[in-house]
Amino acid sequence: MRITLIVFVSVMIMIACKQEIDTASIEVNTDVYNEIQEKLIDAKAGDIIEIPEGVFEFDRPLSLDGIPNVTIKGAGMNKTILSFKKQVSGAEGLKVTADSVTIVGLTIQDTKGDAIKLQDCNGVTIRDVKTTWTDGAKGTNGGYGLYPVASRNVLIENCEASYASDAGIYVGQSENVIVQNSYAHHNVAGIEIENCKNAIVRKCKAENNTGGILVFDLPDLPAGNGHTCTITENEIIDNNLKNFSPEGNMVAIVPPGSGIILLAAKNTNVFKNNIKGHKTLGVAIASFHLTQRKWEDKSYDPFTHDISIHDNVFERKGGITVPDMSKEFGKMISYYCSAKQQDIVYDGIFDDKKSGTNPMNLCINESNEDLRFTNVDAGNDFENIQKDIAVYNCTLDALPEVIFGEKVVIETSEVEEINK
Amino acid sequence: MKYLTLIAMAIFFFQSCKESPNMEIHAVTLELDKLPYKNLSEYHFFKGDINNLEANEGVLLYKPITPLFTDYAWKSRFVWMPEGVQAKVNEEGIIEYQNGSVLIKNFYYPNDFAKPDDGKNIIETRLLVKSADKWEALSYVWNKEQTDAVLTKVGDVKPVNWKNETGRAMAINYVVPNKNQCKSCHQRDVVLKPIGTKAKSLNSKLKYSDGSTANQLEKWVAVGYLKSNNAIEKFPAVADWTDENVPLEARAKSYLEANCAHCHSREGQARTTGLYLTTDETDRSHLGFCKGPVAAGKGSGGRKVSIHPGDAKKSILTFRMKSTDPGIMMPELGRVTTHEEGVALIEAWIESLEPEDCKQ
Repeated sequence: MRITLIVFVSVMIMIACKQEIDTASIEVNTDVYNEIQEKLIDAKAGDIIEIPEGVFEFDRPLSLDGIPNVTIKGAGMNKTILSFKKQVSGAEGLKVTADSVTIVGLTIQDTKGDAIKLQDCNGVTIRDVKTTWTDGAKGTNGGYGLYPVASRNVLIENCEASYASDAGIYVGQSENVIVQNSYAHHNVAGIEIENCKNAIVRKCKAENNTGGILVFDLPDLPAGNGHTCTITENEIIDNNLKNFSPEGNMVAIVPPGSGIILLAAKNTNVFKNNIKGHKTLGVAIASFHLTQRKWEDKSYDPFTHDISIHDNVFERKGGITVPDMSKEFGKMISYYCSAKQQDIVYDGIFDDKKSGTNPMNLCINESNEDLRFTNVDAGNDFENIQKDIAVYNCTLDALPEVIFGEKVVIETSEVEEINK
Repeated sequence: MKYLTLIAMAIFFFQSCKESPNMEIHAVTLELDKLPYKNLSEYHFFKGDINNLEANEGVLLYKPITPLFTDYAWKSRFVWMPEGVQAKVNEEGIIEYQNGSVLIKNFYYPNDFAKPDDGKNIIETRLLVKSADKWEALSYVWNKEQTDAVLTKVGDVKPVNWKNETGRAMAINYVVPNKNQCKSCHQRDVVLKPIGTKAKSLNSKLKYSDGSTANQLEKWVAVGYLKSNNAIEKFPAVADWTDENVPLEARAKSYLEANCAHCHSREGQARTTGLYLTTDETDRSHLGFCKGPVAAGKGSGGRKVSIHPGDAKKSILTFRMKSTDPGIMMPELGRVTTHEEGVALIEAWIESLEPEDCKQ
């Protein structure tokens, strides 16, 4: 009885404590917000705006606009924490529309929308930055953690992104992109490269997401027909999380248990990755047709072609494992692959204007002895399902290193000129 | 000697009365190289008691046919130009200004919307000033005493109370935008620009303070603010969103243009979404018909297309218009309440459309 009472009391205390740390006790740091936001507005090219160590609660978003070569610097990831739990305004935590920006050493969490959005920037460096939502994997979390869009010369490194309801690290409609040494976990999509030209994702870890790394090209956008992407030396592990993205979003189609998905990707190489522990698929090669969505853009190329997949290590999820049944794409694999998870699955949809035995120019060279491959022939009502991989025995040239273009770093003389 | 001092003092008093700011009409002051002024009063845009918001000499009232919704705030808008400065309407029907031009916009709440003359609470006055071929956005927040407004860069959150037309007590935390946020809406091709003064939005009759009524474009020409042109014929007026005598579609599209197209256009910040809500957009997919979202996140609300013709409940557009969650709502900035009447209009329009399958 006494023990029961003690347990009861301590449970009550725990509940009470938990309620106490609830949002009500958090105070919005308006003075700190005003100080930082004023610095961001008054910044001169070349300025370093430092944010000290500590947890700061803000109710409005921070923004930097039009001033090039500014560095926003915290005391380090997990040391400078900007929390937006009480946000009343703004669709992101930090918004940047300025060239040659550097964001370094801070954490942004619990924003109502995206954590950090950068648009129309030439030159982006994000280093040692963490974005997260602290209440776990919820559909009400913001869409993207790190979100550069319509930008050029983008470097993301040593970052961590988690619990985004769309993608942890998402680079969209951009050119010359490197994402490296970063860790994306518990997002719907770990890392997503969408409608980009010249991108590299390397030495990253994508773990416990719904899908690890996605390379998508979508129609009806200003920057259409993305191409040229390298996915290499990544650890893509146990991405079996329930898909918690609200319906309607593109990533809502991703079946839990997906390592890499190439959707309408062009000129893309996937090599030397460790792809382990997925219940549905290791690598998927799919046409946009598979989504059954419509588009109007006549110049849009919906096919995935010129793909090289080689020298990866595949290790399927062990134990009794059934592919996902929660998403159409997962069901398709279950039905047409005898309920067996696949290392590489191809929808088999090809452009009938092209001919030959390998019309989409897919090259697969893997040394795994029991590699599971299926071409489900989705374009032909699944009539001619193929397991034979020999037809894809070809090689493509490695893609060039992404070289950042002009104006990423502005010379001192130029800074003086701008500040005039 | 004593008397002399007294006389001198008396004369001094008389003179200071004469020079009291309430008595004297001071011309509008705008020295571009000294901007921004710290206080709104320094510009002398308004005569007499500044909080009457009564236009000074040369400060001309204007009113877009369909305005942007800002949390039910009442707005009064004015344009002012220095001597010899004139705007013109360009080929696209956008008014292009010369340096020195100023657009002035007051945001205020009558205490009782049914009795607008019984006192009001002015929240902020925003200026767009063109100087050295660039526009600058300045926001002035009114003091508690309502005697002047002070420049803010970082914005503010102001509690506001009023009684609406039906007598309902309303209370919100009005958000004054910061300088950067001004630009996120006031933007064409990544450059800060005015958004409200298009020829088609001003091609309507307006009653002026002297009791006269005139077409706004004609009035601008008459006072010398606009180069004489055929804009009235060339750029027909947009529909008044509240005018029940015009077709629903025209009202809805006019509303969407005024409230969404500053970002959702081919030149605006939301061009990356492929959703363009301008009245001249003809591509159905770009207009949102059966169009899936691009980067909506939870903003999709589980709905699959922006506009599901015939079914507002399946349309993302109205879901985001209804929401007040900063991560969901549209527009992203400029409101903390739902514009019930605007939502009702767009819902009615979507419901009226020929139903489609929108197979996804």
